[in-house]
Amino acid sequence: MTGGSQYVVAAYAVIWFLVVAYIVLLAARTARVSRQVEAISRLLERKGINPDEDGDA
Amino acid sequence: MPSLTTETAAPTGVLGARAALLWGVIATVLVTVATIGALLIAPEDADQGVIQRIFYFHVALALVSLVAFAVACVAGITFLRARTERWDDVGEAAVRLGLLFSVLVIITGSIWAKASWGTWWVWADPRLVTYLIVVLIYAAYFVLRSSVDDDRRMRFSAIYAIAGFASVPLSFYSVRVAESFVHPVVFTSSGANMPGSMLVWFIISFVAMLALFIALLEVELIGRRTERALRRVAIAMENA
Repeated sequence: MTGGSQYVVAAYAVIWFLVVAYIVLLAARTARVSRQVEAISRLLERKGINPDEDGDA
Repeated sequence: MPSLTTETAAPTGVLGARAALLWGVIATVLVTVATIGALLIAPEDADQGVIQRIFYFHVALALVSLVAFAVACVAGITFLRARTERWDDVGEAAVRLGLLFSVLVIITGSIWAKASWGTWWVWADPRLVTYLIVVLIYAAYFVLRSSVDDDRRMRFSAIYAIAGFASVPLSFYSVRVAESFVHPVVFTSSGANMPGSMLVWFIISFVAMLALFIALLEVELIGRRTERALRRVAIAMENA
């Protein structure tokens, strides 16, 4: 690459990389929350409460 | 003084999960189109050549970072009036995203400076230094948040976000007041100093970054409210 195009590629690569990394971090947090929901769901089942039941029923 | 209220509704963002998905799709399409346009379609600058292509995302990110800090300021004012956790969430998420965008501005700016001026940073330039000060002020926001607890954390964070926003005009106008000859001024009171074929790709890049900010803000807010709701359920179950 000549004429400074390597700098342009580097700048855009950094932007895409950091944005994707941030989205991966958000996805990791969502996965953690999902695991917590599953744990609470199991705990409710052990207490005899069916978490899938509609509360208004 | 109104007391802090929590919301027990379904954990959604300001506009909801569907809005987050919609904004995510819009942002992905726009950022892709803007990248292709900025790198391949926009005309090459006669003075700087290919290096000038960094401008499209660099300036768009800088403007959206200032928008993020403005959102945090408005969220801070609204929190102090309404005392609801939602506005504390909006403020924190906006500052976090503003910092992400600011870091990208500094990195891309440094790459552009190295290519154009032969150095990574120019301490004599008021735009660079005042922007760095803005970034450091907002980085300290998280130091403050981690040093106080609960209601005081929300209140202090809101006040800090409002006070911190005073640094934004300082950065914005510094280059005009100091008449910097190192950092170029593209947008003046008489309009943009660039041809329409370049301006259209800058506008697309700016809208793309704005859509990205809104999409990430929505996802952040949904995550935060879900975590809060889960904590409340866990506490209720422990006490049951």
